[in-house]
Amino acid sequence: MKWVARTAILALLSLVAVGTRHLFPRPDVAPWQEPTAQYGAENAVAAIVLGARLWDTLLEVLVYALAIAGVKMALGGLGRARPLPPVPETPLLRRSADILLGPIVILSLYIAASGHLGPGGGFPAGAILGSGLLLLALAKGVERLSQELHEATWERSEYGAIAALLALGGAFLCLGFPGSSFLVSANLLITMEVAIGAWVVLHYFARARGEV
Amino acid sequence: MEGLSAFVLAIILVGLGLWTLIERRNVIWKLLGLNVASGGAILFLVAVAYRPQARPALLGLGPGPTADPLPQALVLTAIVIHFATLALALAYVIFLTEHRHTQDIHKLEREEE
Repeated sequence: MKWVARTAILALLSLVAVGTRHLFPRPDVAPWQEPTAQYGAENAVAAIVLGARLWDTLLEVLVYALAIAGVKMALGGLGRARPLPPVPETPLLRRSADILLGPIVILSLYIAASGHLGPGGGFPAGAILGSGLLLLALAKGVERLSQELHEATWERSEYGAIAALLALGGAFLCLGFPGSSFLVSANLLITMEVAIGAWVVLHYFARARGEV
Repeated sequence: MEGLSAFVLAIILVGLGLWTLIERRNVIWKLLGLNVASGGAILFLVAVAYRPQARPALLGLGPGPTADPLPQALVLTAIVIHFATLALALAYVIFLTEHRHTQDIHKLEREEE
């Protein structure tokens, strides 16, 4: 039966390859300057993601939160009581984490807060903040970092961020868009949600294995 | 036909990923194949957004052609959802390995029967 799947993949790919010739010559981009300015943004992608396609983004945030909750359910029930091996703390990692963490946090906040004016936005900023947490976890060890960060409070604040984002988005879908203040607050909330979600995934994966 | 090479690369990536998805027997290899295929789809959308001599879709950068902002917004969604679903799938692979002690789908199917 595998040959059916192989033939189907080859046929599908050749269909796509034949279809790409309709993309040439490239059509002109419809004028986007006025609608973008109307949403209070200078970045057209931010205006689409948080303005014209806000429903899509809100449901995407919900899907993200559901997937993170699924990871927690799948790995939280494993119940391994294996003692963790001690983390070898290398001074190189520790020092570089000390030096790099502040700039990473500031960069992610800057990218989130100015995401409607230039390249950036909530999702890349959350990914940057999450990778900063990964760096800190490599230097310190996941369990110790989780205790120092008060992870339970973080998870509650993630759900709070999602609820606030849904409430804000729903209100502005009904009432109309007030301008760039909504974009800034939505980007900051998305940053928080994505970063905490990435941290939760990292923590549960590392705990299922033992340590980072 | 400017920008054709990106389309060719995207189609090759999707083909390789789907091929790995059906040929490999290990679940983690299947997920990696799905990952590569998703990268190809993302590259395809970015290549659709490309215009020759275009600048990014930001206001106040001057006249001239700009890249299409809509596929870029779609790609943003695709990347985030892809990360979340891949994490969920890997979590279930860990769960499966803990309970069945194998990642080979043939063995898993034989155990089911």
